[in-house]
Amino acid sequence: MLELRNIYGGYGNITILNGTSFRIPPASITTVIGPNGAGKSTVFKAIFGLLNIHSGEILFDGQDVTGLSPARMLAQGVTYVPQGRNVIPQLSVFHNLELGGITAPDQDRVRARMEEVMDQFPMLRQRRNQKAIELSGGQQKQLEIARALLLDPRLILIDEPSIGLSPNLVQEVFRTLQRLRDQGVTILMVEQNAKAALAMSDYGLVLELGQTRLHDRADKLLADPRVGQLFLGGHVEETTSADAH
Amino acid sequence: MSQFLQVMLSGLATGSIYALVAIGFTLIWQSAKTVNFAQGEFVMLPAFFVLVCTKVLALPLWLALIVALAVTVVVLGVLFKKLVVEPILPSGGIPLTIATMALAIFLKESVKEFYGAEAQPFPPLFPSQTLNVFGAVISLQDICNLVVALAIVVVLTLFLNRTRTGRCMQAAAQNPAVAEILGINVRRMVLYAFLINGALAALASFLITPVYLAKFSNGEVLGLIAFIAAIVGGFNQIRGALAGGLLIGVLDNLTATYVTAEYRAALPLVLLIVVILVRPQGLLGTSEGRAV
Repeated sequence: MLELRNIYGGYGNITILNGTSFRIPPASITTVIGPNGAGKSTVFKAIFGLLNIHSGEILFDGQDVTGLSPARMLAQGVTYVPQGRNVIPQLSVFHNLELGGITAPDQDRVRARMEEVMDQFPMLRQRRNQKAIELSGGQQKQLEIARALLLDPRLILIDEPSIGLSPNLVQEVFRTLQRLRDQGVTILMVEQNAKAALAMSDYGLVLELGQTRLHDRADKLLADPRVGQLFLGGHVEETTSADAH
Repeated sequence: MSQFLQVMLSGLATGSIYALVAIGFTLIWQSAKTVNFAQGEFVMLPAFFVLVCTKVLALPLWLALIVALAVTVVVLGVLFKKLVVEPILPSGGIPLTIATMALAIFLKESVKEFYGAEAQPFPPLFPSQTLNVFGAVISLQDICNLVVALAIVVVLTLFLNRTRTGRCMQAAAQNPAVAEILGINVRRMVLYAFLINGALAALASFLITPVYLAKFSNGEVLGLIAFIAAIVGGFNQIRGALAGGLLIGVLDNLTATYVTAEYRAALPLVLLIVVILVRPQGLLGTSEGRAV
């Protein structure tokens, strides 16, 4: 589905990714965890064409998509929900949603998808004419996720969806992601709240200093003492090639 | 009463032209975080493009206006962005702001050098008749200026809010990082903002120069007033810039008629200070969070 082969890249002269490699299977949820500065968000930017990649390849469904622009990645069926607030504040909820499909050649299809997505997130329909800035943090996150669904993506990159959300809402977001997975969508997620995220994921991936340290089934990682150590701020001592695939 | 009506209307007419220029300010600010201190000269220059077309090239006025509009959009839209904003913006906002001040001097002095320092008569677009409405003598030109300027604002607002391209421009201005991940061509949207600013400057120039005459120094006052109008109304809102422009136009005329004409130049500055003290985000503006 998605494969990173020995990616080196970063911002300007600073290299963040030092040979990042992993492969994730279709219709699965993979959570990326790791200490601050490990390059978790940077991996997403690399995949989505927002980072200067020095070397390595990114394959999506066997095709080389290394360095494609965000617009081209969207056309490939990949969407990206970054950390933090990502709405257009002064546009209405409806028009924010519409922007999720702005690159689609078939706008009638986008209209139909908007209705379907608003069925999934009824809050958006109720507030369709409100400005996005007037929504609560949790509602804005729902809007972003809904917007990311408009193009029927096959892969969703979602960065820290739980930040700023109440525990109830986090569970709701996780359930939404699981439902999407059951419909065949592949999800790659970065999550600070590692235990909760691994508990709902199929696979987990530990990133450190821009390299994959561990990659295994999520339940195995949860039971792994080295991962526990990482949660306490330690490091994964030895490099293990636990690539599950 | 009839005098009041006259003063109000002519204030609104001038104010609506200020508003066009102020809206250009806000568009450039929103899309490229650039404060364009050459904005006044952007309004001074198109009138001379028209004069060159009518006098040197002997084109009829309507054609001269179209040619001047097109030239303005290219020179003050595309070239301004490519030659001034893009190379300097990476060095920061302050160097760019200073560069626009230099550009203002360059444009002003160039016109003085190549066309002349004397004020030139400029053909009026509308008949200079007066109408008698309930005893008030109202200039037809004022009415036409007001109607045309407001129509331009309405069309622009409809474009920005009712078309997909307009909404993409808003997205690119309000959150460029997000616009990019949605696949919007942010650079193109910024370019559109510069093109629109060029067109607004040209149209404002065509409307106001018959009143002021074409002179190389016209931009000094116009740029300052439009800048103040944008701040007073709210720098990040089109309707704010509109309100600011109309307010200054009307207050200016009322002061000149009922108080004293001597201090009319000071009035926008006083208004600016009061607004910054009392409501720094502007009358209709929203405060912009500073990214930490």
